[in-house]
Amino acid sequence: MTFEMDIETFAGTDPVYVIASEVFAAMVDGEPGHVGLWEGPEPVPVEELHAWVDVAGPMGGRVLLTTERSTAVELTRALLGLGADDAVGDADIVDALGEVANVVGGNVKALVPDPGALTLPEVAGTRPETHPDDLIHALSLDWRGRPLTVSLWRLGQEEMIR
Amino acid sequence: MKVLVADDSRVMRQIVIRTLRQAGYDWWEISEAADGRAAYEAVLADPPALVLSDWNMPEMTGMELLQALRAAGVDVPFAFVTSEGSTQMRAQAEAAGALFLIAKPFTADIFRETIDPYLE
Repeated sequence: MTFEMDIETFAGTDPVYVIASEVFAAMVDGEPGHVGLWEGPEPVPVEELHAWVDVAGPMGGRVLLTTERSTAVELTRALLGLGADDAVGDADIVDALGEVANVVGGNVKALVPDPGALTLPEVAGTRPETHPDDLIHALSLDWRGRPLTVSLWRLGQEEMIR
Repeated sequence: MKVLVADDSRVMRQIVIRTLRQAGYDWWEISEAADGRAAYEAVLADPPALVLSDWNMPEMTGMELLQALRAAGVDVPFAFVTSEGSTQMRAQAEAAGALFLIAKPFTADIFRETIDPYLE
């Protein structure tokens, strides 16, 4: 299998953007319209969190979600239906961000011909190792004024073992 | 009606249960399992009327859970709620005896449209 995707074949509509919009509308916001493309220069991120799932196989791929911790906290509140003042624990933040990556990853996998199995999501403060040449696609999103990046990476067996 | 929701993500279990309520199933008595193994034991201890299970879970996947239940002679109605909804996975689910597969992200409308026909 391969983890190749020709974005141009989707008639000008970025399929990853469509997936992210659907995921946020259904799971996070309960209504569409709160996710758009980030316009202008992105702010320097503070305290990044990374969540990713891999599509296994000899030529697999990785779907990586990157955002600031403060955004992950707000995402967690939205997913759990909590109020702005409700406390959010680390375990729930990891769980919530991982699930968003998992659902985006599962839907991205459906775009890939003959994919392998999807791994369980991983979440870390340190960005997982990726080679710049292996970047397939990156999308900078604006969720309620907060930056969030979804990127797709080509992955060999070695990276997946790490 | 007793329903078991199996998903290794607590957040996702909460979202599934909330969406079931929004879909009108607020009369269901819902319990939770944090992985396939826990779900297997819960079903054997107190068989529910329906199992809604994630596919990709540690310990025992949703598919392994379904196969283990059938191997144990437990014919509980079983369905998947999972992040992957490819034609291949839907065919696999159906072949293993699942009633349906709901792909994430889902809405209350999708739950209602998919589940209602099985309640009649």
